[in-house]
Amino acid sequence: MLALRAMAGVPLHNRAKAKNIIFCFMDGGPSHVDTFDPKPMLKQHEGKPIGESAVTKRSQSNANRVWFGSPWEFKQRGQSGLWVSDLFPHIAQVADRLCVVRSMVGELPLHGQQNLLLHTGRILGQAPSLGAWVSYGLGTENHNLPGYVVLNNDWVPNGGLENFGSSFLPASHQATMVRAKGVPVDNIVPHDTAAVQRRKLALLAEQDAEFASRSSDAQAIEGAIANCETAFLMQSAVPAIADIANEPAHIRQLYGVDSSDEHQRFYATQALRARRLIEAGVRFVEITCPSFDGNNSPWDQHGQIRQNHAKNSRITDQSVAALIIDLEQRGLLDETIVLWAGEMGRTPHTPKVTGTCGRDHHVNGYSILMAGGGFKGGMAFGETDDFGNAVASDPLNIHDIHATLLHQMGIDHEKLIFRHGGRDQRLTDVHGNVVQALLA
Amino acid sequence: MNLFKAITSAIFLPFAGGEVHGEELFSSKIEPLLKQRCFECHSHEKKIKGGLALDSKSGWEKGGESGPAIIPGKPEASLLIKALSHAEKDLKMPPKKMLPSAEIALFTEWIRQGAPDPRVMEVQAAELVVDDAWEVEFQKRLDWWSLKPMRRAEPPKVKDAAWSGEPVDRFVKAALDAAKLTPAPPVEMEVLYRRLSFVLTGLPPVAHARPSSCEEFVDALLRSPHFGERFARHWMDVVRYTDTYGYEWDNPAKGAYEYRDYLIRAFNDDVGFDQLLREQLAGDLLPRPRINTVAQTNENLIGPMFYHMGEHRHGSSLMFNGIHQEMVNNKIDAFSKAFLATTVACARCHDHKLEAVSQRDYYALAAMFTTPRWTTRVIDAPAKNDAAITRLEKLRSAIRDEMSRRWAKPLEASALKEWAASHGAALKGIGAPLATPDQLSQLATEWRKNREAAKKANTAFKSLAPDHWVFEGDGFVHGRVENGTPLIALDGEKVIDRLLPQGWHSNALSSKLPGSLRMPPEHVVPGKFVSLNLAGGEFGGQLVVDDHAFQNETITIYTNTEPAWKSFADAQLKNGVQQVTIEFCTSSLNPNFPPRTGLAKGLKNDDFGFDKRSWLSITGIVSHDVGGTPENELDAFAGLYEANVGSAPWEHIASWFNAAVHRWCSNKVRAGDRQVLDWLLANGLLPNKTEPGTKLAELVTEYRRVEAGIAFPRTVISMDEREVLHAKYPLNVRGNVDAPGTLVEPASLKMLHGDRVADRLALAESLLHPEHPLTARVYVNRVWQWIFGTGLVATPDDFGRLGDKPSHSELLDWLAREFIREGWSTKKLVRRLVLSQTFRQSGLVTDAARERDPGNRLLHHYPTRRLEAEEIRDSLLVVSGRFDPQLFGRPILPYRTAEDDKKRLFSGPLDGDGRRSIYLQMSIMDPPRFLVGFNLPDLKLPTGRRDVTNVPSQALIMLNDPFVNAMSKHWADKLLKRTSATTEDQIGWMFERVFSRLPREDEMRRWLAASQDFGGDTPDAWERLAHAFFNTKEFIYYR
Repeated sequence: MLALRAMAGVPLHNRAKAKNIIFCFMDGGPSHVDTFDPKPMLKQHEGKPIGESAVTKRSQSNANRVWFGSPWEFKQRGQSGLWVSDLFPHIAQVADRLCVVRSMVGELPLHGQQNLLLHTGRILGQAPSLGAWVSYGLGTENHNLPGYVVLNNDWVPNGGLENFGSSFLPASHQATMVRAKGVPVDNIVPHDTAAVQRRKLALLAEQDAEFASRSSDAQAIEGAIANCETAFLMQSAVPAIADIANEPAHIRQLYGVDSSDEHQRFYATQALRARRLIEAGVRFVEITCPSFDGNNSPWDQHGQIRQNHAKNSRITDQSVAALIIDLEQRGLLDETIVLWAGEMGRTPHTPKVTGTCGRDHHVNGYSILMAGGGFKGGMAFGETDDFGNAVASDPLNIHDIHATLLHQMGIDHEKLIFRHGGRDQRLTDVHGNVVQALLA
Repeated sequence: MNLFKAITSAIFLPFAGGEVHGEELFSSKIEPLLKQRCFECHSHEKKIKGGLALDSKSGWEKGGESGPAIIPGKPEASLLIKALSHAEKDLKMPPKKMLPSAEIALFTEWIRQGAPDPRVMEVQAAELVVDDAWEVEFQKRLDWWSLKPMRRAEPPKVKDAAWSGEPVDRFVKAALDAAKLTPAPPVEMEVLYRRLSFVLTGLPPVAHARPSSCEEFVDALLRSPHFGERFARHWMDVVRYTDTYGYEWDNPAKGAYEYRDYLIRAFNDDVGFDQLLREQLAGDLLPRPRINTVAQTNENLIGPMFYHMGEHRHGSSLMFNGIHQEMVNNKIDAFSKAFLATTVACARCHDHKLEAVSQRDYYALAAMFTTPRWTTRVIDAPAKNDAAITRLEKLRSAIRDEMSRRWAKPLEASALKEWAASHGAALKGIGAPLATPDQLSQLATEWRKNREAAKKANTAFKSLAPDHWVFEGDGFVHGRVENGTPLIALDGEKVIDRLLPQGWHSNALSSKLPGSLRMPPEHVVPGKFVSLNLAGGEFGGQLVVDDHAFQNETITIYTNTEPAWKSFADAQLKNGVQQVTIEFCTSSLNPNFPPRTGLAKGLKNDDFGFDKRSWLSITGIVSHDVGGTPENELDAFAGLYEANVGSAPWEHIASWFNAAVHRWCSNKVRAGDRQVLDWLLANGLLPNKTEPGTKLAELVTEYRRVEAGIAFPRTVISMDEREVLHAKYPLNVRGNVDAPGTLVEPASLKMLHGDRVADRLALAESLLHPEHPLTARVYVNRVWQWIFGTGLVATPDDFGRLGDKPSHSELLDWLAREFIREGWSTKKLVRRLVLSQTFRQSGLVTDAARERDPGNRLLHHYPTRRLEAEEIRDSLLVVSGRFDPQLFGRPILPYRTAEDDKKRLFSGPLDGDGRRSIYLQMSIMDPPRFLVGFNLPDLKLPTGRRDVTNVPSQALIMLNDPFVNAMSKHWADKLLKRTSATTEDQIGWMFERVFSRLPREDEMRRWLAASQDFGGDTPDAWERLAHAFFNTKEFIYYR
């Protein structure tokens, strides 16, 4: 569904460091203890019961489960020595650009609630998505393009399409969905030839103008007439940006758009489109992961974590790193925040350690990362305990991240409000603090 | 370690040698601090938030809703210090800014010293004052227009004759006169007919059906079955209608479409809104069923589906705290907005900030709404199957008589011996003695020993009569059978499928009949355990229900034919859960069937669970305090081993068998006989063929014919308040689910004198009191909005302080009283409004009106309205000729470009089979996208008034969406069939169908020219022309 910015945004509250956000949504919950949060204790205690004291409501846990060491080796990377596991060989190469938060705390270890919390700041949803708020707050720089685009593959995440919605904000701020394969946007391919369509629009212009003049609400009718003209232009503008055919070979190679793996090809295509979209003035671009094995959500490996976390990495790792490298080469990384986050982490324990075992839902200390847009590079913030089972210092919640992201975009999260249901609503509801420690 | 510890440990130091002590510390430091920092919100002079008063010692001793605020000597354990140190997200005091650490240190030191507090105040007096504080505030808040009695205003006199008839017009005209504005002149007839058609049916008028008068036209539209569809859809917005539950798996909302159809029938039959309200809130509690003779349904039981709309989360409240509380919130929100236009849900965490609604009110409603079982009911009219059931019972009895004659011939010992020699595989279980006939005495000894042991073990189990258990559905109500009752085979050569043990068998007569047995709460059932002897198949099974938490996933499907004991231990109640119950049910009565994909083994993902045979048997119920299940007492062998074996084992075995058969034939079956007979039957030792041409064959054929004629049950998730525990609901302190406070008794809102209302039926009746200030006003205002686009109160879901105030308050009151007087009839109200001069105005706006009342609150013209999403889609169907006017039925899947079978997001036909949009499946997870494009409301929340946005994506839909283009093609094909028509004729006809008017000359020239440019009289050109019509603004707006 395409939606255009109707408003010019609100005046900035502070000096903006960044203009755009690209959100790589790792739907399903990548394991923190297999990616950015090394826990050698897990290997040492592998197979030992976790005990009652490790059981928490923020984890799918019981006392009889056993610790499970990471199948991947962790190494310190780059100048900074940031720890990244071998699961992400490409992301590891840009470690010095990464600002990793290891102390994220969610509310309940359930996909739907966490997805909605991550996107809308409320476990219930029924509120606008982060992307919609950014679009509402800043407006678009290109009136032929929407302010919030989700690069998706017809995947409906847990919590539903509401994750990408505008809720009580004007509908023009809801995400426009661009899919990886086939027609990129619904209804964007003209049904008619340009000549026929032009003739139709000419006919309609006359007919509708008359109707508008006879109507008590000429303004609404005229608005609808103007929309026809905009729609006509969008039919060429949107596919042109989605089209990556003319990207040079080295760029295509960098992202992996010609990979033999279908899913990696989709993801790489979307990552490259993300860069093109922000170059064209789209404020907020979100990329979802393709689902490949009929899982509830792509990163949700309750079993087969070795095989399928590796597969998820093959699909996304190279393109995420490419995006950071490409943006930097173009001088765009300073003004673009790349946010990499799932809705949860995964338990450092499992019912039984086997070759096919997995990890379950965990929101009591998990990792996300930001790069660019004024975030410090090569750093890790916050800590979990020795087992990665609970947050140990500097807990952050999603509201803090939302507040910090908006801050970098020049928006005070307490001032970006919309009156609805008798209240001044905010993305961060009544929570959130800007985390200065993450900022350069 | 947490912040709290850091603070408390850090601040001990400066006071280690403390300068002031005891009461001196209190009076010099603590009391002034309390006054300065805390009394604003925690004193009798100001407010007593969270129930905590700090202006007396007893105040903090007693504490607020979270318990005592201070534990003398233990600062770390004291809530006060926790709150002051802002250690917990939900417990920060003062909420905005933390006190300086030096001040916190003072409090900590004071508590460490034992919190000496010389102040004295009567606890009892304090409690009274607590109530008084809210009472004063409450009384202030009652002073609000919508809570005051409806006035009895006389319609004012106006000078204009045309505006003097209908009282509605007199009110409107008087207000216009007062503002020195004039109403718009009456609109042209063709425009009025188009307006009336959309307003009353949501469909464009049928071309060429020119009525002789406006009244006649209105009455025809009110009689049209499409009126019910239109008004049902309006109400469906208000109650957040959905066919699925969204969240992670988008499970089907069982029987939602029955509720949708029920609404359509109700609006078409003009069932009074009072009755509709009663049924939706408490239909299950009404003493007499309201039977719809056409649909053959008990409408009462469908009404409470109202509660089940909205999102349902899966899982169990015993596993995750916070799930059912969110859903309860949604229910309270929907109830209070839909019927009272009041935002009660805001009082979940604290007394309402603005309205006369306390936090206690919220939890009183929660208690009322969580008292009943939120479960499935059979909505078939009672006695619908009675004739068939009686007939089947008679036939079964006759078949048994016939079989008795055939089984009367005794088994010969010699034949049995011969049979055993060649059937070694069958010689186990009941047949085991046949394998070693020479060891019968030893076996008898062993049997006696085992039997004794089993009997001894079984003394721990007390047989339980299900006196306070609820049986629902004809399967169980008519499924209580004696031991050995034959289960008639429904196909094949066999007469009897097997013999049933004593107990309840939902399939005793037909596996189409539904059955559910609902247990009382576990902790009420005697014993720490309850065990049931259960069998079932075809998705019969059990569902464990935690606190009626609406979408429990603890579903177990049975696949055993021979009953097996299952044991249920009393669950540990936690997370605010007040009761755990279990329902044993066939698939149609299982509120969570079909469950999320993958949970019911063998069920295909695209199987929505309709029209399924399903069965369940319950043959024993016992209670016990130790684990385990009852042992088999081996009754079956009593006839063999209790008698003296003697020297002729085969004769002895044969007589054991023959005695059991004989008892069956003479209806004197004993315990254990059933297993013996079943074994004989299964092994072909008893005749069991239909024998074509015999009376037996006739009876069996007839049995099968009658059984085939039984319809599958119709079931809906509703309410069942029979044999329940009246719930008390724990008040969640500050809305925090982990901080359950006092238990609140069921009641309604105090502001509506509902504190004496203890159940849903009383709640409904209290709302229907003719002097209730909200019910009729709120509904009448909704109807006004459906007719005029904006309500007299522009915020139909909020008549409170954040809502709009009425534009014509006396008119609103007059209409509400008149509505009640006319029997709460929607159709009479609608008829009055659409025949008014106010409604018949044109859209002409004078400059004065535009200047002084740009929002048209005074109704000086009829507004231009964009069609709602459904009207646009339905108009495309009607105009193109693709429309299928069929009413009712199961949801049609929306067209999707991609499917996800795990979430049952399948694609349906592009044109939805031509059916109206109201019949498209409303999936919370992925609603019909065409409709979403034109502001279909959020399916989770009550929506009194839809948004109307105007965005380019709508233009793109009309230009390029495959459905719009398919309808253009469909229409073009129709046009091409009118072979004798000229192009002018065709264009004229198209104008009539799309705009309900003929083209003016210049318009005809315009469209003729376009037709030429599109290719003249070719299929492509007609399709383009049709498509252009669909893209006109006049198509999606009416005036």
